[in-house]
Amino acid sequence: MSFLPGTLHTRYRDEVRLLDSGFMRFWCAAGLFAALITPLALSNFWTGIANQSLIAIVGALALNLLMGVTGQISLGHAGFLAAGAFTAAALATHFNAPIVVSLVCAMIGGALIGVLVGLPALRLKGLYLAVSTLAAHFVIVVGLGQYQNAASDGAGFAMPPPSAFGFSISTERQWFYALLPVAIVVLLIQINWLRSEFGRAWMAIHHRDVSAEVLGINVARYKLYAFSASTALTCLCGALSAYHTGFVSVDAFDVHLLIQYLAMVIIGGLGSLLGAILGAIFVIVTPHLITVAANAMSPLQGMGGKIFEIEIGLFGVIMLIFLVLEPRGLAGIWARVSAYFLLWPFKFRAWES
Amino acid sequence: MGLLVIIFIQASFYALLGLGYVLIYRATRVLNLAHGDLMVFGAYLFLQTLIETGGNVPLAIVLGLAGSALLGVIVYEGVLRPLAGYPVAVGVLATIALGIVLRSLTTVIWSGQTRYPAEYIGELGRPIPVFAGLSVSVIDALIILVAAASMIVLPILLQRAAVGVSMRAVAENALLASQRRINIHRVNALSWALATGMAGIAGVFFSLKVRLGPDIWYVGLAGFAPALIGGMDSLRGAAVGAVIVAAAEVLAARFIAPQIALAAPFLVLLVALWIRPWGLYGSREELERI
Repeated sequence: MSFLPGTLHTRYRDEVRLLDSGFMRFWCAAGLFAALITPLALSNFWTGIANQSLIAIVGALALNLLMGVTGQISLGHAGFLAAGAFTAAALATHFNAPIVVSLVCAMIGGALIGVLVGLPALRLKGLYLAVSTLAAHFVIVVGLGQYQNAASDGAGFAMPPPSAFGFSISTERQWFYALLPVAIVVLLIQINWLRSEFGRAWMAIHHRDVSAEVLGINVARYKLYAFSASTALTCLCGALSAYHTGFVSVDAFDVHLLIQYLAMVIIGGLGSLLGAILGAIFVIVTPHLITVAANAMSPLQGMGGKIFEIEIGLFGVIMLIFLVLEPRGLAGIWARVSAYFLLWPFKFRAWES
Repeated sequence: MGLLVIIFIQASFYALLGLGYVLIYRATRVLNLAHGDLMVFGAYLFLQTLIETGGNVPLAIVLGLAGSALLGVIVYEGVLRPLAGYPVAVGVLATIALGIVLRSLTTVIWSGQTRYPAEYIGELGRPIPVFAGLSVSVIDALIILVAAASMIVLPILLQRAAVGVSMRAVAENALLASQRRINIHRVNALSWALATGMAGIAGVFFSLKVRLGPDIWYVGLAGFAPALIGGMDSLRGAAVGAVIVAAAEVLAARFIAPQIALAAPFLVLLVALWIRPWGLYGSREELERI
């Protein structure tokens, strides 16, 4: 993980280790500790926001895998989230399935959807791929709407309170300690994917698929892997959010949700794991901060019902600013700031990694 | 027969939108996902003018069109021009962001309430029976007229007029065009203005025929289906695509279920992309080279 001169390994085993220095070990332990005590320091409401952020991190990492790493634009992720949520809802309603079973089933179903959507994607590139995934989004949402009208009273499905391994998960604090390991496991899986054969193949496809093929990478197969891995994790995210919200309705999975997830990976910085995490937290937390700030400022209180619209508009403006001014996103800013402190008192280094 | 007329009206509406997508794509190689919001903006401007002037329809239509066109120029200069040279994906994502900015702006200015501008135009909107159980309103006739006119005028403009020739030159090779003293930014801005102006007209007609609210951007978004089915850089393709999509939508609504009609354009699009990714009349994008 370190690109700076000075960390030299003498054994292959050291190269493979994730926490390869005392510095990394210390900061990862500190980060984990900070994450563990977070819910103790936060009120119930803000713990709920933290839980939403954890779920969003899973989804943003999944979308980043497809868009940032493999370079395949997907505008269908809100549809895939809906598919995951409805898989969980259907299993819980019809078969009384426990949460672990429905999460696993949602992931398997998601992988299958990924193959289905990925197959046409083998022929399509760039713009056309974006559009066909957007079309897939609308088809999925309308189809699930039909199912919702037929199988529930039309309004949606109420999810049972989940329990796993003998623990029931009901309060926001319990949710936090259930979701944190899930997010960490997903992150670890992705870290290991990216530094193995898969990640290298995906990045090669991102840069130029024809030259990737010449290098001996089976482009079709690795594109399908990327699609099914991404949609499986997206469906996991959808199913988790279904249980966390306690209610599933197709109305929640509109284009606005899609835009939120796009904003996460763009604001965070396409192709960066840290970026996906920062972007997810930014996108979930910022609207609430805006609300708090608006409530604090008395002249804005008259805006009342319009605050939601203004929030969304600000969102679009932030996305535009990042696209035009900082395409590498929050991760790019982070890299620049940390490089500044690492190199101080020098201004730049002679080589760029 | 009645069904055919309905399909024809719907196709004219889609053609107006689809032609806009094609013009913008030819100019800036961007699929403009904010097209629906530009359409809504034109429609609201139309409504505002109607209310202010007490039902002056021609003026309102002209202002709705001009407002959308002006907004198109602003969008090109403010967002798309700085992004020239970026990967295609960045442009598409920028138009998505732009779309939500416009949507929240229209909601803040005009509130999210559903309006019916048809109330302000009186007799004009009433259907007139033509023959045997078939009635067409003046609005419907106007939609067909405008769509047909743009289908005839636009190709002639692109083939014959000096401006049209510059447009084609810029679409083909912007660098060479600029070296031949064509002001590519002015030409692109003009393409955008034409496209968004047509979207504004489409918005006006839709608001008169059905309703007006911030949520009708969805209808404008569906307009990319005809453009893609026909081929992103072909005007003729957009018209053919519009007929196909309109037929699919109207037939699905009539014979299967009204809810399916919402997804029909996208289902047709998925099938079309699967069979012929570059569209019916579109040119194949790039040669595969390393």
